Amino acid sequence: MNKSKLITMKEAVEKYTYDGMYFGHGGALPVGSDCISFFREMVKAGRKDIDVASNCNTQGTNLLAAVGGLKRMEVGFSGLEVYGFANGLKRAVETGQTILEDYSNGSVPIRMMAGALNWPFVPMFMNTGCDQQWCSADDPENYPNTKKIPEVTDPFTGKVCGAFTPIKPDVAAIHVTMADIYGNAIMLGSEWCRYELSRCSKKVILVADKIVDTGVMRQYPNLVRIPYIVTDAVVYAPYGVWPACSTGLYDSDEEHMYYMNKMLKTEEGTKEYLQAFGQYGDVWDYVDMIGQERIDKISATDTAFLMDPYKQWIKTDAEIKELLERR
Amino acid sequence: MEYTRQEMMAIATGREFKDGELAIFGVGLSMLAGFFAQKNHAPNLMAFTEGGVYGSTPVGGLPWGIEDNRISANAVSFTGAIDALGFLVASGRVDNAVIGAAEVDKFGNVNTTGIWEPGTEPWRVGKYTLPKVRLNGSGGANEIAVGAKKYLLMVTHERKRFNEKVAYISSPGYLDGGNAREKYGFPGGGPSAMITTLGILRPDPVTKEFILTGYYPFASIEEIKENTGWDLKVAPDVQIIPEPTEKELENLRAVDVTGSLRKK
Repeated sequence: MNKSKLITMKEAVEKYTYDGMYFGHGGALPVGSDCISFFREMVKAGRKDIDVASNCNTQGTNLLAAVGGLKRMEVGFSGLEVYGFANGLKRAVETGQTILEDYSNGSVPIRMMAGALNWPFVPMFMNTGCDQQWCSADDPENYPNTKKIPEVTDPFTGKVCGAFTPIKPDVAAIHVTMADIYGNAIMLGSEWCRYELSRCSKKVILVADKIVDTGVMRQYPNLVRIPYIVTDAVVYAPYGVWPACSTGLYDSDEEHMYYMNKMLKTEEGTKEYLQAFGQYGDVWDYVDMIGQERIDKISATDTAFLMDPYKQWIKTDAEIKELLERR
Repeated sequence: MEYTRQEMMAIATGREFKDGELAIFGVGLSMLAGFFAQKNHAPNLMAFTEGGVYGSTPVGGLPWGIEDNRISANAVSFTGAIDALGFLVASGRVDNAVIGAAEVDKFGNVNTTGIWEPGTEPWRVGKYTLPKVRLNGSGGANEIAVGAKKYLLMVTHERKRFNEKVAYISSPGYLDGGNAREKYGFPGGGPSAMITTLGILRPDPVTKEFILTGYYPFASIEEIKENTGWDLKVAPDVQIIPEPTEKELENLRAVDVTGSLRKK
């Protein structure tokens, strides 16, 4: 465990992501914890033809779809919760640019669990007897579809259920509240399916709001749901979920959630949005781009007390810069 | 007291929850209906979110998302989706739930996936055509539809939303009616009511077709039939649903602090 995996956001995108990859992300809800700033970096690098396994759309996939970089998506929920439809993704789906294969919020995590277990398939009742089973965006002519979720018979009871393929992404970027440089991580709030995602993906990049000393992991080992063994890289990404929320650290930025989604509705709006919010350099420029006023506002979260037990272990920006330079 | 149709719908939905039930709510209006019930008459309602946030109530206004910070500030446990949506919902353990719908049909099937031009629906043309308007997909509603012992559909009562057959089944109700659900071995019992902005429809115990069993004081049977896209049957004992009491409105508005249900 004594090898630091801490790298910069730019290095992580260059080293681990590529055009046409099968990418796992999120493991969260649209307003919850996804690696949004990782998507911004992939868009900066011009990554395209990305095939994603999401349990939910977020502003990350909304942005990638808006720039035309999202080839295909398997998803349970494609909106932005109270913030409405995801305009960038909606546009890409309606024009046929993105192939959207529908599942549900429960079946995607279980398919990830099946991938983690290396099962050949996993049986479920969910998504059967309905159009997630009968309609396939990959195979649209075959209706009711017999290949996407084939019917199988329970050999013990004779009941019918659906057989689902496991999910095994090439690469996953997973937001965590805090990680140490070796790749141990603690998540606050619902972990949704980030635990399963960390186990089913071939490569795992942790995108952490805070870099912490390993002492916190030794103090609370039960909370370390992602240990160093499954982690390939750790990226320091303060406010990396902005404009959505990171439990314990910041709330969703109401104004920017609406603004970003409005801009992604058109190609021109997307270009304008990226001129303002896609031109920064490193992670410290990114924080400057968000601006202190917004940061103060979103950081006044009622969940802030959840961070109290961890404060003594949090690395300062100066310490993180030193850790990056010392490599 | 003055109240809006949305408030009546939320209160009528809330009345369906009993004290002590294990319940799951969606985001937005259905969450308000659920927390209204907890405040008003069901203090021991055990609610949780699909990603496993347990023991919490909203803080600082209507949550922006099911697991956002406004619902995570006073929780006693955070787990994950397979735990909450899998072990508790899809498994058949949850007692009651609410799901919203863009479109419903007479057997309580729900479409939240897309709007198709009439005549181009996948079931009609025998292939998966792209929707004219992409909606949000099923989210966790499919698990509720498959697993909850019973659940409520909360729908704005407009003719375009109430059709003989939905364009796309995102969450299965009673499928083609009768005992059609049985083929699939779903652990849950199916939808127990459609609570709309005009009244309440419940399934016929045998055919599973939804029939009108009650309407609000400001609505009429004629208005409801006009706004329903199938030949709606009316229960012989159809009732006028009592309007909200002062206490109910007070409790609903205490939960709906931002007034999202008061917008006309």
